[in-house]
Amino acid sequence: MNVERLNGLSIDALYALADKMGLDLPPELERVFVVEALLEAFEEDSEERKASGDAAVHIEEKKYSGSELDEIDASLDAAPCIECRYNETVVHVIARDPEWAFVFWDVKDDTFDELRANPAFSCLFLRVVKESASEGKAAASFEVVVGDDDDHWYLHLPDEGCSYRVDLYARLGSRSRLLAHSAIVRTPRALMADSLAALDADAATLATLSGLASLEIVQAPEHHPSRILGGFDE
Amino acid sequence: MDSGYVALVLNAHLPFVRQPDYPSFLEERWLFESLSETYLPLLRVFARLEADKVPWKLNLAVSPTLEAMLGDSLLQQRYVDWLDAQIELAEKEVARCADDDAFRPLAAMYHELYTKNREDFSVLYGGNIIGALDFYFKKGRIDLMTSGATSAFMPIYRDYPEAIAAQIEAAVVSFRAAFGRSPSGFWMPQLGWYPGVEEPLSAYGLQYSVVSTRGALLGDPTPRSGSYAPVACPNGFTAFIRDVAATEAVWSETSGFPADPVYRDFYRDIGFDLPLDYIGPYVEQQQIRTFTGFKYWAITGPGDQKVPYDAERASLRVEDHVERFLRDRVLQAKAAAKHMGGRTPLMVAPYDAELFGHWWYEGPQWIETLFRLAHHTDEIQFVTLSEYMRTSPENFESVPEFASWGDGGYGGVWLEKSNDWIYRHVFKMIERMTELAERFPNESGLRERVLNQAAREVLLAQASDWPFLLRAGKSGSFARKQIEDAVTNFNRIYEMLCANTVGTEWLTRLEKRNNIFPSINYRVFRRKR
Repeated sequence: MNVERLNGLSIDALYALADKMGLDLPPELERVFVVEALLEAFEEDSEERKASGDAAVHIEEKKYSGSELDEIDASLDAAPCIECRYNETVVHVIARDPEWAFVFWDVKDDTFDELRANPAFSCLFLRVVKESASEGKAAASFEVVVGDDDDHWYLHLPDEGCSYRVDLYARLGSRSRLLAHSAIVRTPRALMADSLAALDADAATLATLSGLASLEIVQAPEHHPSRILGGFDE
Repeated sequence: MDSGYVALVLNAHLPFVRQPDYPSFLEERWLFESLSETYLPLLRVFARLEADKVPWKLNLAVSPTLEAMLGDSLLQQRYVDWLDAQIELAEKEVARCADDDAFRPLAAMYHELYTKNREDFSVLYGGNIIGALDFYFKKGRIDLMTSGATSAFMPIYRDYPEAIAAQIEAAVVSFRAAFGRSPSGFWMPQLGWYPGVEEPLSAYGLQYSVVSTRGALLGDPTPRSGSYAPVACPNGFTAFIRDVAATEAVWSETSGFPADPVYRDFYRDIGFDLPLDYIGPYVEQQQIRTFTGFKYWAITGPGDQKVPYDAERASLRVEDHVERFLRDRVLQAKAAAKHMGGRTPLMVAPYDAELFGHWWYEGPQWIETLFRLAHHTDEIQFVTLSEYMRTSPENFESVPEFASWGDGGYGGVWLEKSNDWIYRHVFKMIERMTELAERFPNESGLRERVLNQAAREVLLAQASDWPFLLRAGKSGSFARKQIEDAVTNFNRIYEMLCANTVGTEWLTRLEKRNNIFPSINYRVFRRKR
């Protein structure tokens, strides 16, 4: 992306592009400043990507050879041209990595109308339930209030290598009504299953020779406390 | 005396970009460029090695979408037409550069490349690249693997066993149709593994795959040989482990071999440099600038100041890089062998096939030189993964963790703000497809055709290429449209079946357009009990 190509775009397209890049520009900014902000953002984005060490992905990009259209594409509205919901009450969760999960949900129109008609209805919220490994032990959970218009969130999950379920609730005064619950997902481990000290010397050396350091894999400590255990209602 | 084994694993994959409704289509060039710069040059490498009786062997995963496109007569004809245009451009370039000592040999080099490609593709192989690969498969040189039907990033679909089974079954069926036998190896798209995926893989007779180093080292329990030997899942499925050092030597965009200043620069292309009235007939729709494949500059260094590419200098550097690669593998193997209790260390080096030639122009030459020089050393032996399994069947039992080779090592590339909207639709498609397969388990005739087309649309929507492209900002509109089309087509079928009306004409048109997986069986989406 260069200044000539940005100058070829309408001011609306420039703002759309800025929005896509995560720039919060004041409305009715002069065109020259919008272009300048975009160029800076592109430069930073490019440097971040170079520094990310994301080699496999960068290499893969090369086979999708570029054209001018890539840059024009970037200025288009990213919203899909298909219906964005299916009018159902549902919540799904996908574990993305050891810390984050993508949660998306929907509430059927009839159900939402009924909720809104109830004077006790205050909000929707997600209850993130950590599935307990041992039976009989109370599940830990925390709650996140979501907006009526929200339909997806990225949630930080406190523990790697653990199983979670996300429930969608409506708050009705002091009561809560369960609307939907997700399947159980498990966050992947970020720490080795066995600490190097627990391995025999040869196995520990081979693990190290395999690139533990370059992958920034950390060995399991004797005791690994939850990172934000305080966020849980035990 | 072998210090170590090296398994070279190439993953050849492109998404399904066939667009018969248009006279030409920008994204179909991905196939033409890969054929010209990677697949055909690699076949020439294999032929030369055979002719010189150099022992060579490697693993090659051919994705079902690529397999389908390579076997498609429309795309084969379009490729020949494209080659004719490239040869015409090369002739013009030879004339244009006649008085330029630096560029004249390069224009001639491209003229030779495209002329040779035209001859090999049309005359030598009769358009049948799959047949050419099968020739080396049968000779035992290439250990062919299959991959996910549309290269779905499997961990995202782990809650939908029907969708995982469909990705595997369609791939296996398509491999059998192409190569006349069942595959034993399965390339996990993006090396996206999750615990439990070994069960459906085994159920379809698959025996091995490759996992990321991260996934293996985080496996439970921790592998006792690091990445230097595969692990066996409890059900017997073998997971080979990517070797970080061997792959980084080639993979790293900044310090890997392809970044050497003397190699050909990938980005600088006459498609962007020359006036549109000259280059117009060879770019998209005569007006959209795109890569033409004619690149005259060496990487040189950061910045825009480039020196002309010198192919002879680059060839010498290829030898240096092969020597360094082999030397480093010997050192690495010797260091590991001390801790392996007499077992020979294995270093698995998986790469995207299109890296070799398309991006790294000298890549095919590097592979050729690798086998030629390795032939003269007794310290490194190349093996295929099937061969290794036969000779070393006993492996430490462990289940690799969910991981991938993408940025961050997990699923972040295929699930982030630019592409997360996809999953609401694809999950719904899978649920509805399962519902249809349950409601109509024994259909035949027209209704079976409709259901099979619905299953194709689900698979097409699952392709990991679309979220990848959305994230990369490359061909984003195209990627978005592929998903939207698949969702729209599927929903129309769903509604037709719910209303008990089927538009035959529309269905026939759709079957012709999305003609992948002709033998698909929608019943694979029946609920797994």
